[in-house]
Amino acid sequence: MKKSFIAASIAAALALSSQAVLASQTQNSVSQDTWKNTLLEAKGQTVYFNAWGGADNINDYIQWAADRIKDEYDVTLKQVKLTDTSDAVNRVLAEKAAGKDSNGSIDLIWLNGENFRAMKDNHLLFGPFSQALPSYTQYVDENARQSLTQDFGTPVDGMESPWGMAQVIFMHDTATLSNPPKSIPELLTYAKAHPGRITYPEPPQFLGSTFLKQALYELSPHRKALSQAVNTVDFDKITAPLWTYLDQLHPVAWRSGQSFPSSSEEMMRLLDDQEIDVALSFDISAASVQIDKGNLPDTVRSYVFSGGTIGNTHFLAIPYNSGVKAGAQVVANFLLSPEAQIKKQTPTVWGDLSVLSYAKLSKDLQAKFDALPRGIATLNIEELGKTLPEPHASWVGALETEWRKRYAQ
Amino acid sequence: MPLKHIKWITGFITALLILPIAIGLVGTLLPAFHYFPPLGEYGFSVSPWINVFSQGEFYAGLKLTLITGIGAPILALWLALSLLAWGYQRPFFKKIEALLSPILAIPHAAIAIGLLFLLSPSGWLVRLFSPWLTGFERPPNWITVQDPYGASLIFALIIKEMPYLLFVMLAAMKSIQARESIHACQALGYSRFTLWRKVLIPQLYPIIRLPIFIVVAFSLTVVDLALVIGPNTPSTLAVTLFRWFNDPDLTMRYTASAGAIALMITIAMVLGGWELAHRAFSAATRCERSNGKRRGASDTLLGAGVIIGLITLVSAFTALILLPFWSLAKRWRFPDTLPSQWTWVNIERAAPLLMELSANTLIIALFATVIACGISLLMLETKRHQQKSSTNHEQQHAFDWLIYVPILLPQIGFLFGLHVLLIYLNLNGDLCAIIALHLMYVLPYVYLTLKGPYLAYNEDYLLQANRLNHRPWRHYISVKLAMLKPALFTAFAMGFSVSIAQYLPTLIAGEGRYSTLTTEAVAQAASGDRKQVGSMAMLQALFPVMVFWLAQIIPSRWTTWRLATKKRIIKAFTKKDKTCSA
Repeated sequence: MKKSFIAASIAAALALSSQAVLASQTQNSVSQDTWKNTLLEAKGQTVYFNAWGGADNINDYIQWAADRIKDEYDVTLKQVKLTDTSDAVNRVLAEKAAGKDSNGSIDLIWLNGENFRAMKDNHLLFGPFSQALPSYTQYVDENARQSLTQDFGTPVDGMESPWGMAQVIFMHDTATLSNPPKSIPELLTYAKAHPGRITYPEPPQFLGSTFLKQALYELSPHRKALSQAVNTVDFDKITAPLWTYLDQLHPVAWRSGQSFPSSSEEMMRLLDDQEIDVALSFDISAASVQIDKGNLPDTVRSYVFSGGTIGNTHFLAIPYNSGVKAGAQVVANFLLSPEAQIKKQTPTVWGDLSVLSYAKLSKDLQAKFDALPRGIATLNIEELGKTLPEPHASWVGALETEWRKRYAQ
Repeated sequence: MPLKHIKWITGFITALLILPIAIGLVGTLLPAFHYFPPLGEYGFSVSPWINVFSQGEFYAGLKLTLITGIGAPILALWLALSLLAWGYQRPFFKKIEALLSPILAIPHAAIAIGLLFLLSPSGWLVRLFSPWLTGFERPPNWITVQDPYGASLIFALIIKEMPYLLFVMLAAMKSIQARESIHACQALGYSRFTLWRKVLIPQLYPIIRLPIFIVVAFSLTVVDLALVIGPNTPSTLAVTLFRWFNDPDLTMRYTASAGAIALMITIAMVLGGWELAHRAFSAATRCERSNGKRRGASDTLLGAGVIIGLITLVSAFTALILLPFWSLAKRWRFPDTLPSQWTWVNIERAAPLLMELSANTLIIALFATVIACGISLLMLETKRHQQKSSTNHEQQHAFDWLIYVPILLPQIGFLFGLHVLLIYLNLNGDLCAIIALHLMYVLPYVYLTLKGPYLAYNEDYLLQANRLNHRPWRHYISVKLAMLKPALFTAFAMGFSVSIAQYLPTLIAGEGRYSTLTTEAVAQAASGDRKQVGSMAMLQALFPVMVFWLAQIIPSRWTTWRLATKKRIIKAFTKKDKTCSA
């Protein structure tokens, strides 16, 4: 009697829950069907993925993804290694100029910020597509970070699919410098005490521009204005402290501020050669990766400024004239999957932060993320501290122009 | 070559050349006047020009461009002439000549990166003397590279240009009967430098005028070299334009196009000024040259040039030798003169890529160069016919200067215009398109290298052969081309190495779908990782160096080998016959 009651209640419960499942399945079935069609259509397609190709470990990671995608979906992924993402933007533009509105040469492009804004504003992108990707609906929490929906202040609107997250970190060699400067003003004090050992990448290189933004955040009393378009605020007044600061920094900077390193990689090389004392990177695992490759001594450690550093999200977008949009979506979806994101966050592979919401993952996957080793010089999420948001995208151009006007003529 | 319809052939090939040049130009000219349909701009305006002229960086960049673009060719010419005057026809000079080809062959970016490592404050030269002599435990805060005056850029340009000029001069020496002049002058008691200065250089200059112009245009427009070793606040005009063309703000393109046109005008003016300066200079020195003095004070100028030229060559080689070391280094920190830890990993990692890249590189270079050789022979033959028929030997065909237009124009603006054409033709990202674009840059060098020897060829050999047995095509190949073998092989090697070094044309026509050793090396150079660049540059240099080496080895041994093989074949056949009859 007792037994049958239990059985009945279990049956009822099962019936109820399966009904609920059924309901949600019908809701999902529409999008699943379209996704099935996308998968079907993508079979046999070749996707030309235009991505910055300056880092070996990233290229290797893309190659790994290409092999996996080939096995799983029968889509061929070919990386076109760019030295500058704007090359790809220009190419799409040239194709539009020539009226080549289908079967364009680029199917997927790795970008964010300025390049995204330029492509979106000039209607060079396909979409919206990202919010319909299975990995996106399942694992991404749009509210987790502002940069997932606002790419440098430009609304994403589903026109690009998130791929990874980055945050500015600083590196120092503990053998020569045990107590590194932890804020923009401290950096100047240090430079005055040790002339020629501090520098930053040359704007408009994106890390150089980011350094300007970081300095502006710390120096300007008008922080709120930074989230508005630059032409709606008093640029001169807000940026005045920045230029005063740089005017003081440059005479005591590396090579007396006459020349600047071209990239984060060059800064790390200079750090290794002991020409400079502090390097910066947008890649939180850069130090560990470079130590592993023998490009930095193993006494190098990462750190962030005590007031927080600027962080952002980088994305994948599909040009409007791609001939294999289905294949491109399959690739974007795979790269957003837990499998690909876990691999990507592995410090010896790339160490790029996942964009997935930890809470939305199953226990299994959470455990896998937890088990990821960290390199000896990589900070964990708590250590990375506060993330400062990117200013509105229009600030980049304005800061760069002003910087070049003042220091590059 | 027994050709018919000479006028048609010349016309056709000329038209084939004009078309891309014209479209490339128009594609840059229209945006310079704000006409650009893809961005919805259909109206003409001069606002891009107002923008350009209001940019402080334009003037600063132009100033640097003029300093480096005029300074480098003058110095390179001076050093090349000095070295030639000092060593021509001396036994040891042959060895130096053989060493020129690696420098000619190695891509600019690789040389720049090597130099950067040699000369920077944490570079090899400082390491060599640290800390035992200089006391530097850490690199000094000096500005030895990327200096604001462009001195290091000029140095890098000289390293690339001096060997090229020397190479061209050596080829041109044959057509001015230098040996006879030297004997005559020496008999009259002229010192070596004086006779060169007074007699040979004035004869040599008109022949090498065009290569000099190419060198000037290259110095004014070079991007990859200037990116690596040039000043960056401000940078040269070409680099500034490169940045503007790549600005995410697409409207910068108008300003960039206007700037590219301004750069073209600058090139034309500098070349014009150069020619005027040369005339003024030779008029001013005419009296001194014919005053009959056997020695002159300005001989020391050539003497000093020899010393500086040798220093330049030595540092170029040191830079090149250091690069492969990087590919074997795991740890190589200041102040270590040699790596402290070695590894094969860097090379192992590059190895799988090597096969694909080498295949692409070789296919492109081979096709482009063979086609260029064919077109050059065809055009030179028609030119020879014309020279024969007209009394005016100086008559120039449009083709003669048209082929140089692509290399005299700045690649950065011109190639964007061309890219639009390729897309219209649906040829973008196609191997044929890459070969065609390479051809535009290979052809002038091949034509130029072949022109002197081809036109100087004594046609009587061919006439005689045809009188004995009239087989014009067969004799053209087996007599004339066979006698021109050294020139043909050299032209081939030259074209081959030019093709291998092309970066922007490969990238723009291939749309990144075809990677070559060069596009890969420049992409690696962007990351600043010397280990990767070291492996890449080594591989990239290997093929051209080999081809140059073969070009010197094969022609002199060809006939011996051919006859030996023939003998062997005949022997094999006669043996067979014998066994058969037996």
